Amino acid sequence: MCGIAGVASFHRIDDRLFDGIHHLEYRGYDSCGVAFLTNAHIEVRKDIGTVDEVNNKESIRDLNGMVGIAHTRWATHGRVTRENAHPHQSCTGDFAVVHNGIIANYKALKEELRKAGHIFHSETDTEVIAHLIEDNFAKSGDVERAFVDALQKLVGSYALAMISTHEQDHIFCARHESPLILGLGSESNYVGSDFNAFIDYTKNTVILDDGEYSILSKDSYSVKNLRSGEVVDKPVTVIPWDPELSKKGGYAHYMLKEIHEQPLSVRAALNIAKDEIGGLADLVGTARRTTLLGVGTTYYVALYGQYILAQLADLDVSVVSSDEFRHIDRTDCTSLVLAISQSGETYDTLTSLRHAKERGAKTAAIVNVVGSSMARMVDRVILQGSGPEVCVVSTKAALVQMILLTRLGLELGVRRKVITPKQRSEYEVALAALPGEIETLVNEKSGLVRASAYRHAHTTNWLFLGRGIYYPIALEAALKMKEVTYVHAEGMPGGFLKHGTLSLVDDKLYTLVMVPPASNTELYQMTMSSVEEVKARGGFVYGLTFDDQHGELFDDRLVLTHSNELTAPFLPLVGSQLLAYFTATALKRNVDKPRSLAKSVTVA
Amino acid sequence: MKALILTGGAGRTLVPFSSTRPKAMTLVAGGTLLERTLAHLREVGVSDAVVVLGQNGEKLRRFYGDGSEFGMRLSYVEQERPRGIADAILSARQRFIPGEYFTLVYGDVLTSGNPFHLALQSFNSFKGPIAGVCLPGPPTGRYGNVYMRGTRITKIVEKPAKEGLGNYVLAGVFVLPTEAFTWLDEVGGDMQRLFDRLSESPSFHASLWEEGWIDVEYPWDILAANRMVMDTWEEARISKDAVIDNNVTISGPVRIERGSRIKSGAVLAGPCYIGRDSYVGNNVLVRTHSALGPRSVIGYGVELKNCVLFGHSTVGRLSFVGDSVIGESVDIGSGTMTINENMDRSPVHVDIRGENFNSGLAKLGAFMGDDVKVGASNTIAAGTVLATGTTIAHNATIGGGR
Repeated sequence: MCGIAGVASFHRIDDRLFDGIHHLEYRGYDSCGVAFLTNAHIEVRKDIGTVDEVNNKESIRDLNGMVGIAHTRWATHGRVTRENAHPHQSCTGDFAVVHNGIIANYKALKEELRKAGHIFHSETDTEVIAHLIEDNFAKSGDVERAFVDALQKLVGSYALAMISTHEQDHIFCARHESPLILGLGSESNYVGSDFNAFIDYTKNTVILDDGEYSILSKDSYSVKNLRSGEVVDKPVTVIPWDPELSKKGGYAHYMLKEIHEQPLSVRAALNIAKDEIGGLADLVGTARRTTLLGVGTTYYVALYGQYILAQLADLDVSVVSSDEFRHIDRTDCTSLVLAISQSGETYDTLTSLRHAKERGAKTAAIVNVVGSSMARMVDRVILQGSGPEVCVVSTKAALVQMILLTRLGLELGVRRKVITPKQRSEYEVALAALPGEIETLVNEKSGLVRASAYRHAHTTNWLFLGRGIYYPIALEAALKMKEVTYVHAEGMPGGFLKHGTLSLVDDKLYTLVMVPPASNTELYQMTMSSVEEVKARGGFVYGLTFDDQHGELFDDRLVLTHSNELTAPFLPLVGSQLLAYFTATALKRNVDKPRSLAKSVTVA
Repeated sequence: MKALILTGGAGRTLVPFSSTRPKAMTLVAGGTLLERTLAHLREVGVSDAVVVLGQNGEKLRRFYGDGSEFGMRLSYVEQERPRGIADAILSARQRFIPGEYFTLVYGDVLTSGNPFHLALQSFNSFKGPIAGVCLPGPPTGRYGNVYMRGTRITKIVEKPAKEGLGNYVLAGVFVLPTEAFTWLDEVGGDMQRLFDRLSESPSFHASLWEEGWIDVEYPWDILAANRMVMDTWEEARISKDAVIDNNVTISGPVRIERGSRIKSGAVLAGPCYIGRDSYVGNNVLVRTHSALGPRSVIGYGVELKNCVLFGHSTVGRLSFVGDSVIGESVDIGSGTMTINENMDRSPVHVDIRGENFNSGLAKLGAFMGDDVKVGASNTIAAGTVLATGTTIAHNATIGGGR
């Protein structure tokens, strides 16, 4: 997965293009490059490294041109080398292409082109596209025709942008199963993998659909259907987000900023219209079976959903990690598949939804990004409106998804007569109080968590335990720790201790336990017995608790204050987000862009 | 943008060092607190500063002069009696042009990186007043609570009622409009009410400092501050004008300034700092986190560990100075031992102005003010404070805390 940016303008574009890929770096960051049209030829500068590093080496923001494309890469085909960095050029250098996605038939195409005399410089699938267009152009002498003919030969997924010396005012772009959107500015038009590429300059966007291509110039644009060549009349979407919000403003890291933004995001989620939730409840209610889909963090969100729907609505739903879904998919026209995704572009989840759709299932999704592929392909979507989440590690988006599943549970609970409307309104009062409780937690307890995190940062092994609904929370908390600190952290239900794990417990293995409120007597006692089991073997226990009892059992702890058992699990979740964050800063990790992780995983 | 630096804090609890110098002149890792602040300001392009002086301010003014030696243009305002922060701010009012923003800095805090960078970045994105906040970890009762929604500051409580909090506190770095002088005047010089007024505005934002931050309040904070700075050092730096004998062992980030002489058999384990024109005798062991100010003289076979010497001091042969802070022009006789832990390893307590404080530290030595003279063969108990100019006879044992 990669990031694409492009600008056509009346003015110099080097700064805007640089900002564009800079803001897209979260999509991938092993190499990057730019291509400009200048003095009737294409100038390409690229190398391996982050955008800033490459700029230092290659001065990519110091090019005099008014039309250009740029790319930040996360390698899938071919190693991380300068040659494999985008943009890629054809033999004559008259065409330059940037691409996100995978061309499945590139080997065959490459062989064909090689026979025709083309010389390749990289190992990428992308370079094939540039040569293919050049080959077509030699026959027809028409850039648009050459571009379209090339696209029709491609099998696989792509979002791509191309510039040519034969059409010096234009950027050609197209998408198929990889995201690409246009930005319409004053005296400039933009193209990007998502709106971060141009959010500083315009909020007016046109979202391309699969099988469409577009030609942009500084003062016009057109979108056409790839098969028929007909012009498609596309609506202009205005992005409601404030560009200021998508910057770091005041925080050292986006992750901390986003943890602090959670009260605002939860309030926004509670303000989503009842009808929206009701519409989703209709689908769940009429389906014979419901499957929740997610992968990574969103899988744990889905698992939380399984517990909350069982507890509030007496509903038995299944949860599948979307990378595994196709292997056990037995959905049919009576099924509902509810997917959860921050970006709405997650490859595995999109593929699973397509799979389910083919089998006739109804689909729905909870998604944060407006206009994302998932938002547009499902029968029913809830846009969670959490604002941009820039840190690669998800915090606020995941919390809000859990809140929305809780709201779904309440709605279904009343419909299925598991809870009374009176109980529901009590729960709604509790939900309304949650933003305030989170705010108090981050404002008054962060220093305690930070001190603990710095004290325990040397730990190399963590066990995160929870029982009942605290189990998915513990899994998600462990994932946060792992993702951002690179420290091994394993989440499991407390009951697993007796099945092998206890043998690992010693004074070097640290155990974090999520202890429910004592008012939930059974769960509380079961959890405390896990604490005692660990303690009895000399293990170190960090407790996230709601009271200060049993001090002797905890080596360190954070005492939380809750008002209701429904919302209580979210507080240890926020506490453990802070613990992961401060552990990462203590270990001097690259918090917002941890290694081997990208924001929306758009490849298999 | 111009800066306003407050150095008038009396440092009541920083005895014996604050009785002869402003807190901002406290030396850690070879530099004063203010020197670091000035360097940080210069890095972000702030080169004009007004410094508000308090008690012993003359010493500070003599040291910094017009600031040209430090790449700054400095001017001074004297605050005659210590009347608190608000009064100090108002005393500099005439030096600032209305309608601009300025940086307000508490001169006695120390950070491990440059907090102004982040504060000015926040200022640029919000174009409104900014307060730097940080998380010092518990206990935080002494700095007040800062409450935020997103990055907006919604409330600042100067004297918190709740206990056991680990909250955000003011880091001593602000970007304020010059109207703040007027507001402060209007609310009768009450900082709490100024904060209330700022918090009411939707444009008052926090700049969250995530790196090290220390307010040097108690004498043992000097050791923590010294460690914090030294831990950021990554390489050794030895002046070409230092004279190092054969058979000296140097490991880790060791800094040796010009004119210093290191005699044969000495072992320097970095991070550590040897100020200019110092003498380190034969077989001296300088262990990690030791900082010797200028013109220190360390006699044969002395062991130093985690300690700060302000300079111009002598440590006689075969002595041990550990987890201690030694003021200027101190003379420690040969064979003197600072004891740095209690027999039961309980936290060391320290008497400050007649009040007993728990330092929370299992290892802590002595604090000797300027011009102290300690005779030969002395044993000094953990947590002892020797006031400026004290003389201890030969062969005595000095009490100290518990």
